[in-house]
Amino acid sequence: MKFPTDPVTLATPFFILSVIAEIALARLGKLKARYETKDTATSLVMGLFSTLSGAPFAAISFAGAIWLYHHRLFTIPMTAAWAWVLVFFAEDLTYYVFHRLSHERRIWWAAHVNHHSSQHYNLSTALRQTWTGGVAGTWALWLPLSLLGFPPAMVAIEKGISLVYQYWIHTEAIRRMPRWFEAVFNTPSHHRVHHARNPRYLDRNYAGILIVWDRMFGTFQPELDEEACRYGLVHNLGTFNPLRVAFHEWVGIAADLIRSPRHALGWLFGPPGWSPDGSRDTSASLKAAWAARQKAVQAPAKHEAA
Amino acid sequence: MQLADLIQLAVSAAAVAAMVGLAALATRGRGAPVLDEAAARRWLADEFPDARIGGLWIAADGLGAVARSGETALVLSRMGDGYVARAIAWDAAARAGVKDGRVALPLGDFAAPRAVLALGAWPPRDLAA
Repeated sequence: MKFPTDPVTLATPFFILSVIAEIALARLGKLKARYETKDTATSLVMGLFSTLSGAPFAAISFAGAIWLYHHRLFTIPMTAAWAWVLVFFAEDLTYYVFHRLSHERRIWWAAHVNHHSSQHYNLSTALRQTWTGGVAGTWALWLPLSLLGFPPAMVAIEKGISLVYQYWIHTEAIRRMPRWFEAVFNTPSHHRVHHARNPRYLDRNYAGILIVWDRMFGTFQPELDEEACRYGLVHNLGTFNPLRVAFHEWVGIAADLIRSPRHALGWLFGPPGWSPDGSRDTSASLKAAWAARQKAVQAPAKHEAA
Repeated sequence: MQLADLIQLAVSAAAVAAMVGLAALATRGRGAPVLDEAAARRWLADEFPDARIGGLWIAADGLGAVARSGETALVLSRMGDGYVARAIAWDAAARAGVKDGRVALPLGDFAAPRAVLALGAWPPRDLAA
């Protein structure tokens, strides 16, 4: 029997045990976690079938990576420690780009939205994974790493490590990590902001492992004590049906394309919520409306103080 | 698919069932908070911060509400232990059918097809105009 080298496969028993522990400890009042039965079922079914739906595209992606590796620019040895350090940074930056695109362009949001569709934030939410990531083609973003000379297996292992890292941050049980850790790494606090639907928190904290990318590229938002995170989508789902969860944004795109095909580029590559007449809400318009309301509230207060 | 994959899938499905079962046991008796007028207005203010509420109709069981804001109906319907909000045309809401004291409001959204609320007589006389 071959020993599995996929970090996600190796971590699966830990995923199961930790979800069980979080539910039980929350029930006993030992930690903060909110579970709901149907929501948990949807998250776990999404996770279970994402592994099946992703398999064919994983094969295509890996074949593509091997082909590019045969035409590599450099040869990076898998046995060198420096190579692992390098692939860690390269993969994590690639993840940041992937994740940002997945939020800021509708065609990729359609594949990613289901991960954000729970109104809860617990370890089971981490397992609410996409069924359509392969179709969306974002796996291609990792291919240049193989062209650079990172062995495809090395990239795949690093991707797995990143996915496993991102599991534990889906919790309300940990309030803050030590300051130095919060400064460098993605943490439960940073990722709660990422899953929040408050306008102030929308489209922030795209990090995989290192939060430094968000700090560098201006997308960082700390969690504020005065504004509790409200989780889910701007327009939360009214169903637990996994098929609707997985495909609702694709159905929305199809409906828009049929209604107005001449705006196809906008429907596909505009930000989520884009419409030709601007009648729908985007993250930017929601943030602008929120900022205007804040200003309106603060202006009379300042006037009174003066 | 090989036998090992099938076994892995079956074991994973059993683990999912166990986790869902545990979640059901741990959360037994917990549901969405019942809405009164103040709670419904708080939810609506969160969901539609710019809307002016002209009238509010709370479901008899407290598990949903409809508010009128101009020509728009703002609908709150139960989703697990929380609520989901949608805005639809008031006319469409007013035309919704009533069966056994429950109104099925068509939300026109694949992700939230309809809201079924115990609103009794519908449309309410004071909000229908």
